[in-house]
Amino acid sequence: MKPETTQMSASVAPSAYPLDIAGPDAPDAAEPIPAEASHRAYVTMLFNRHRVSLQRYLMRLVPPDDAAELVQESYYRLLRHGEMVKIDAMARSFLFQTATNLARDHYRRRASHRAALHVPIEDEEIIEDHLGPDEQLAGEQTRVLLERAIADLPQDTRTVFLLHRFRDLTYPQIAQIMSLSGRTVARKMAEAIERLSAAMSEAT
Amino acid sequence: MTTPAAKLSAAEWFAQARCGDTIAAHEQSWLQWIDDAGHQQAYENCELAWELSGELRRSPAIAALLAAAPTARAKWRVPVWQMGLAASLLAIGVFGWRFVVAPPITQYSTGIGEQRTVALADGSTVFLNTDSDVRVQLSRRVRRIELARGEALFSVSHDPSRPFEVHALQGVTTAVGTQFDVELTRGGAAISVLEGTVTVGGRAAVLAPVAVTAGNGVGYSQEGAVSELRAAEVNRIQGWRTQRMVFNDIALDTALAEYNRYSRKPIVLSNPAIGSRHINGVFHIGDEAAFLSALDQGLHLKATKGDAQTVLQPAPGYEQ
Repeated sequence: MKPETTQMSASVAPSAYPLDIAGPDAPDAAEPIPAEASHRAYVTMLFNRHRVSLQRYLMRLVPPDDAAELVQESYYRLLRHGEMVKIDAMARSFLFQTATNLARDHYRRRASHRAALHVPIEDEEIIEDHLGPDEQLAGEQTRVLLERAIADLPQDTRTVFLLHRFRDLTYPQIAQIMSLSGRTVARKMAEAIERLSAAMSEAT
Repeated sequence: MTTPAAKLSAAEWFAQARCGDTIAAHEQSWLQWIDDAGHQQAYENCELAWELSGELRRSPAIAALLAAAPTARAKWRVPVWQMGLAASLLAIGVFGWRFVVAPPITQYSTGIGEQRTVALADGSTVFLNTDSDVRVQLSRRVRRIELARGEALFSVSHDPSRPFEVHALQGVTTAVGTQFDVELTRGGAAISVLEGTVTVGGRAAVLAPVAVTAGNGVGYSQEGAVSELRAAEVNRIQGWRTQRMVFNDIALDTALAEYNRYSRKPIVLSNPAIGSRHINGVFHIGDEAAFLSALDQGLHLKATKGDAQTVLQPAPGYEQ
């Protein structure tokens, strides 16, 4: 059976509302937090445990005034996220990763804002202290330092680090490729991180 | 400020946290350890080193080191210059160690409204739904598929020595032999398991892997947050496999989103409010006339066909 099609072109706006499951209010708008009380309590406890640390961490990435704002935003992201991992160390790494991404976005916004406004040179320098070119958080100096630290790692340690960091392989996968035990992979990963973090403390 | 012992233990904790299996068992001692200002500071340094080192991904120096690293599951896309660099390094004997050339990547895709069945060399089958794109790389140790766009149903031939991994956004669904569907959705990915068991985990091992058994499904967001287990979308998947859309009392706007995946000319609503009306029925993909007729009779929505889209508007008297 053919449907009746009525011509109503006069009343239909040419740019009709585009279909969108989430509706016209896009997800990043300040949406209400789906806070089941226990979830909120868990996130708040988790957040309070790591708040000071997170703030200090962010202050190494963005100017101090902005750090406070990003700490707050990280908390909201964590709340909005729904089912978080219930293992503290993993939740913490999720939190810090979120904060790092926020810092990167923040810098990106800054960069486009700056380009639009021609902010004077002094401000430029302040930002350059914290952030490098090409939308990256690590400044040129830090990058060179890290590169050198990675190159200087003992061969097996370096391979473990490279495979985990840049090929996203898990420890068991690395263990298989390198014919090492999983324990040894974890130990070499710890050694790599220790050396790189030492390089970072020299840098900042 | 931080003692060498703190630095060492921080690095050990950090390395352990990157491996989801073992960290859970040490929750209590972790909480005690991290409850110390010096430890926290040492741990921050590890986090900073880890996060910032990620930005070296495209650095030529790192690329050269990576090219010399052994590989089972070779790098996803190796830039040509990087291969050249690696080859020349090999030639001069600087890194003469187990360099393995990546197995080739084969790409299969479908356009809007198109479906395709692909038989892979390992005996598995990939059913591609509309507007989808997968890249397949079969090596001796792993069968790696990347779902770059759309949706695919995988019927995996049993081979315990070569896990079958479907990478979509930040997540990886791993199977040995089973049937499951992966769909890229708005802001994430959805997995439904029809047969056997798969594990769904984060690409960088940030999230603990979840086992999903037949009849169940799970979703994860772009950022990698995993949902609770839920029922597999069996009807919808069996529907698209037989060129049908199955709408079982779902909201009209959701139904239209599904319909529009298969159509170059989308159907849109004159007013978003009518999107909350519910719709039932089974429709053949591509049979626009039957679909519009059902909307007319069931929901009193009239269609106006334009060049770029078809607009639905309530019939006079049915505006509310």
